[in-house]
Amino acid sequence: MSSSSKAQAGQALWSKMPKANAELFALTYGSLVTELVRDYEDPIEVNTQLDRIGHSIGVRCVDELLSKADLAGLGASSTMCANLRDTAEVVAKVGFRMFLGIQAEVGGFSQDQRSFSIYLQENPLSTFVELPAAGDDDYQYGAGGDDLRKLKYSNLYCGVIRGALEQVNLKVECNIVRDTLKGDELNEIRVELKEVLSDGAGDDYKEE
Amino acid sequence: MSSPVLFVIVGRNEPLFEAEIDTAHSSAIDSPGGGGGGGQQSELSTRQNYFVLHSALDLVEKSAWTTNSMYLRVVDKVNQQQVSTFLTAANVKFMLLHGGKGEDVIKNFFNEVYGYYVKLSMNPFYKYDTPITSKAFDARVRAAARAYLS
Repeated sequence: MSSSSKAQAGQALWSKMPKANAELFALTYGSLVTELVRDYEDPIEVNTQLDRIGHSIGVRCVDELLSKADLAGLGASSTMCANLRDTAEVVAKVGFRMFLGIQAEVGGFSQDQRSFSIYLQENPLSTFVELPAAGDDDYQYGAGGDDLRKLKYSNLYCGVIRGALEQVNLKVECNIVRDTLKGDELNEIRVELKEVLSDGAGDDYKEE
Repeated sequence: MSSPVLFVIVGRNEPLFEAEIDTAHSSAIDSPGGGGGGGQQSELSTRQNYFVLHSALDLVEKSAWTTNSMYLRVVDKVNQQQVSTFLTAANVKFMLLHGGKGEDVIKNFFNEVYGYYVKLSMNPFYKYDTPITSKAFDARVRAAARAYLS
């Protein structure tokens, strides 16, 4: 399946998804993050929690994606990914489009083809968000403004990708390397393949 | 003749945001909290401006009941200075001290700032009714003041 047909498939799936108001979505996520910041006080710990939440979402999302992709007439054979490049395309073009309705680009493959980047021009999670400026000492949540620079506001994405790919036997590590909230011109999520897990149940469960 | 204007956002208990904007030279003076203007004269007039603005608060409360619109027009006049006020739906007061600008001009300015304020209050890191520290908001308000009031 070529890159453009994946984009089309993503578009088709997106049109069938039930929609939620984007502002409601952004504000809900915003209150979730601020609540975590208030509870944990340490931005690093907040990042971990967001990743964990995302992971739980991801392990469910991937099933929905695969089942709906089947229904959309793509067939199991065409959703099969031959290599990591294919996987990356599906995550970006189908996954992000289907669940968020945004356009994601893939690029920056490493020499050994084991890591790539997903670029997001727009980020529906961070609408309205402005991180408190550094050195904003009287910031009310206990954590200093300087510390909040370490907060990865959209770390949920990392968890989702990690969780989703884990379900299809790909152990990956995700990282937000560029963030529009921190003044970069676009968002970049770096995904690195750690290992391909062996398929199926263990030997004990094999049929005689 | 255009003179410096003073723009203040007042919350329930305290001022949330202050900006003194010199529309004549299209350059902004720091808000007095950040070090005041130059010279004793401007220091004095700045204090007087604050006094006029804050003493107008009672009149704002009063005139709020006389109209349905959010824009309360000029609520107080002291010498040649006028205080215009805009009341948001959540009862946050935008107050502008100026030397007699057109009502429609000020209305447009308030509406613009209201848009920025709404956007700011949607930021999950901004807690309602607390002082506004966002630099971006400050810059936007100053730009709007220059665009509309000079």
